[in-house]
Amino acid sequence: MRHRQHMIAAGVFFLVLVLVGIAGYRNLSYNWQWYRVAQYFFFFEQGRFVPGVLLQGVWVTLKISGISLVLSLIIGLVSAFARLSPYVSLRGLAWCYVETIRNTPLLIQIFVIYFVISPVLDLSAFSSAVIALSLFEGAYSSEIIRSGIVNIPRGQWEAAQSIGLPVSVIYLKVIIPQMLRQTLPMLAGQSVSLIKDSALVSTISIYDLTMQGQKIVSETFLTFEIWFVVALCYLSITATLSFIIRQIENRIRFVH
Amino acid sequence: MKKLFITCIMGLTLLVPFFSPVSAGELGNQLAKESVVEKIQRDKVIRVGMSTFVPWAMKDKHGKLVGFEIDVARQLAKDMGVEVEFVPTAWSGIIPALMTGKFDVIIGGMGITPERNLKVNFTMPYDYSGMSMVAHRKKAEGFSTLDDFNNKDVNIAVRMGTTAEQAARKFFPHANLRLFENESQALQELNLGRVHAVVSSAPMPVFHALKYPDKLFVPLKENFTKEPIGFAIRKGDPDALNYFNNWIVNMHASGFLKEKKAYWFESTEWEDLVK
Amino acid sequence: MSSKPAIRLTLVDLAVLLAAAAGVVLFFVRMTQVLEYQWEWQAIPGYFMFRDPETGRFSANMLLKGFGVTLKLSIWSMVLGFILGTFSGIMGAKGGFFGRMVSRFYVETIRNIPSLVLVILFYYFVSSQFLDALGLDQWVRRLPDPAARGVSFFLAGAGQINAFVSAACALAIYEGAYISEIVRGGINGVSKGQWEAAWSMGLSQAQTFRLVVLPQAFRRTAFPLAGQFISTIKDSAIVSVISVQELTFQGLELMAATFLTFEIWITITLLYFLLTFSLSRTISFFEKRLAIRQ
Repeated sequence: MRHRQHMIAAGVFFLVLVLVGIAGYRNLSYNWQWYRVAQYFFFFEQGRFVPGVLLQGVWVTLKISGISLVLSLIIGLVSAFARLSPYVSLRGLAWCYVETIRNTPLLIQIFVIYFVISPVLDLSAFSSAVIALSLFEGAYSSEIIRSGIVNIPRGQWEAAQSIGLPVSVIYLKVIIPQMLRQTLPMLAGQSVSLIKDSALVSTISIYDLTMQGQKIVSETFLTFEIWFVVALCYLSITATLSFIIRQIENRIRFVH
Repeated sequence: MKKLFITCIMGLTLLVPFFSPVSAGELGNQLAKESVVEKIQRDKVIRVGMSTFVPWAMKDKHGKLVGFEIDVARQLAKDMGVEVEFVPTAWSGIIPALMTGKFDVIIGGMGITPERNLKVNFTMPYDYSGMSMVAHRKKAEGFSTLDDFNNKDVNIAVRMGTTAEQAARKFFPHANLRLFENESQALQELNLGRVHAVVSSAPMPVFHALKYPDKLFVPLKENFTKEPIGFAIRKGDPDALNYFNNWIVNMHASGFLKEKKAYWFESTEWEDLVK
Repeated sequence: MSSKPAIRLTLVDLAVLLAAAAGVVLFFVRMTQVLEYQWEWQAIPGYFMFRDPETGRFSANMLLKGFGVTLKLSIWSMVLGFILGTFSGIMGAKGGFFGRMVSRFYVETIRNIPSLVLVILFYYFVSSQFLDALGLDQWVRRLPDPAARGVSFFLAGAGQINAFVSAACALAIYEGAYISEIVRGGINGVSKGQWEAAWSMGLSQAQTFRLVVLPQAFRRTAFPLAGQFISTIKDSAIVSVISVQELTFQGLELMAATFLTFEIWITITLLYFLLTFSLSRTISFFEKRLAIRQ
């Protein structure tokens, strides 16, 4: 009985959601032109496949996110070890970096890096975007990695030291592999955030998925069609990525 | 269980107005009643969609809106006997915002173009503007014609969704366009020397070149397009179109528009207000 | 791995600090030389407060106003997001199969779309269907003066209220998905033994939930929720794209008029930093105190 009630309630909920959606769709004094959307994905020219601007945008989004992911892991690793180092200056600098990044909005960081820092260092828009994103995600990865290292039992250190391993070998063979196994799910989650956060680089005129969407909207006024499609694109990229991550996680759990 | 059904039915009845058909009989009467002009008078306020364009509309140093468009909208509200309320809106989304009723009219230096006209209605022009250009002295050294800029090594910054973007696409198909949401970001790119030029509605490029004479210059002495500027309103509202058109005719006749244009576009007296 | 090395400056430290300081100095020197940038810091305080020439009183200028809007917006979206997230979180933890499905659907959809895209979609599509139909702005306009001033103090003036409310709702829906997961984790974290003990004492399911599980879940979630509030403040910068007049938007407007790019960006970064950093320090202070007491 309870179960059926839940089922009916949820059914009604979805029905209302769909009806509201349809009502909104029809009620809006808006001329839906879905047929104009397909050409922005791809079209055929003399029988050859030509990617449309949205697909190009997807590629730029993936490229920026991919490069930033690698860089952010490196930055995260370095700053995590800096925060655990015996030198107070390194600890202080890494702390400043992590706190500054974690306490300011990413949008502001992108603007500051593009309009304040990059003209001095003569960086292009693309590298500014990559640097901003990797510094941002790097600060979060740093905290994840640090907690992963701190959580490794002391006994592991002591055991490794007692058999006379040098510090570098302890890190490479003992600490980092264990840390990675512990933090991999969270670091993988960061890659999903990275793809979402990369939407903000459109504000500095990087032609990523969001920017291409904005450009099409400002040219054709297909506001809702394009924004729904862009949202769906992000959803499918991040959902696919989440799915792959879950598969890998399951396999790792299975092995150990 | 019973309660659940009652809630569902109540929920569904709320949706009925969305689907009810419009009766065709009193269409004319209904149109007049639903006109924006009628609504403005009922609410005693006109909601004006705009965006920052120096010197069409901008904030003065105390955060108050000033500019040519602001004066026009204030005068319009005064003549209608209502208050004016400005709704700042991102330019790239200003037409969708008008269509979804975020405000009553766009008075924002909007150029009348066929593409926009497919989505909204325009009044007759109350002003004419044209595209002009400001370039970086070092980067664009020796450039003096439109063709000099139409090169694949040339970067041009424009504000997204403006007629400047369209003009740049049309006149410089080979150049790289860098699109920004705000004009100030495009100009910042130019000041930093990362783009060769910025295209924008006159007189802003000339004013900007005057502000940084040793860095920037105006490569073309004449505007390279001429475009009419009108109010934009939602489609299907003949009363509002008629009202605004006649208001504009009157303001042309009384010299109000000419006087304001002289103050904002042909002098730089207003710069003290801003900084 | 030592847990807390003593603070002691060594030669290496000095070298590192010197290198860092040299980097910063070099950066600013290059900035002034290469860009020929004229610093005008003296103009900035005037954009916080100015003396009104007519009344002679101090009033808030754009930056301070924007700061206020950022605060208001974050608080409102956190409150709304908390309601939404708690509801969805309880449904996800203790609801039936479909309840859990609805909760998952909501959380997964929202967490997989960029907030920027979500805010734009919500502003143009959802808010035009519902908020404008509610006629909020007209309602505010018809209010008598003290009430209207109250609304504009706690929410926004009539001209801004539609954009403000849709921004707050969009942010609330976004943050709600994260809060939902925090709440769900908090409830699931309460051990099964607690339920069984409460039942054996003769409490009903609802009573157990209200009297036993929720208080414990709340204690578990209080600090993550506070952390989420800080994220809300940072995420609120995004609504500048729909022209809500918060700190980032005011900064952009100010730049359009004055071109004091560097000063304004540095000031705005500092403002966000001071706000969120002081909040996060306060939170971790209480967290540590609570941890010691327990």
